[in-house]
Amino acid sequence: MIKPLRTIFLLFIFCVGFGQSVLGQKLKAKHRIEIKNMKFVPSGLTVQKGDTVVWINRDIFPHDVTELKNKAWSSSTLQQGISWYKVITKSEDYYCSLHVVMKGKLIVN
Amino acid sequence: MKTIKFITAIIILVIMTPTISFSQENPTLSDSEVASVAVVANQIDISYAEIALKKSKNKEILDFAKRMITDHNAVIEQAVTLVTKLSVTPEDNAVSQSLSEGAEKTKKTLRKATRKEFDKLYIDNEVAYHKAVIAAVRDLLIPESDNGELKGLLEAVLPALEAHLGHAEMVQMKLK
Repeated sequence: MIKPLRTIFLLFIFCVGFGQSVLGQKLKAKHRIEIKNMKFVPSGLTVQKGDTVVWINRDIFPHDVTELKNKAWSSSTLQQGISWYKVITKSEDYYCSLHVVMKGKLIVN
Repeated sequence: MKTIKFITAIIILVIMTPTISFSQENPTLSDSEVASVAVVANQIDISYAEIALKKSKNKEILDFAKRMITDHNAVIEQAVTLVTKLSVTPEDNAVSQSLSEGAEKTKKTLRKATRKEFDKLYIDNEVAYHKAVIAAVRDLLIPESDNGELKGLLEAVLPALEAHLGHAEMVQMKLK
């Protein structure tokens, strides 16, 4: 009698734990920003802390993604068709250091 | 309306850059000639940038010049790929010849300039040149293109020219 109860309890714990883990993963969303026609599209994006943002270069020109204020982080130069990702932990402005008029904004909710 | 835009493009080209002028008042260009003008216009800006790399010591100017070489070469590469695919041979014409002649005068001026006056001269010319080329691409080359892919390439290049103009104006402000 105790054995089936224990099995059911363990199964319950497993399901809850697994569910939470899956839910946790789902909460960490992945967002996509396209670089095309010399613009970040969308130029402004609101994300949750810990979400991943992927930038993909659709232009014929090389671009990069660089933190605007202090150049605290930067992708390497992204050639056409190449993507780069970053886990976002705080609101930040960024730009393309190769084409300085191209700017984008990440807002963490 | 189209005629007004067209005339405006020519006026802007002549006023903004006296060394760039259209020798014909109302040029009609074939796709081969449009391709030639597009390639020549890109080559001209590369040649200005090459002079800048030799003469300037200013980081902003050097970065801008390097960017012009990379980006305009990318456009030329795309244009060559497209005309090869379309079996179109870029054809020299009055507009491309006029652009080249104007560029020769500008290059002479840039080469003669002292190091002190060069940076301002170069970036002022870049601002004027990009304004002129944007007007020409938008109001002359795109309307004159018959082939959809050629028109598409020119339309795709416009945002880059506008970004270059914005970049040049930023450098120009910093030099003041």
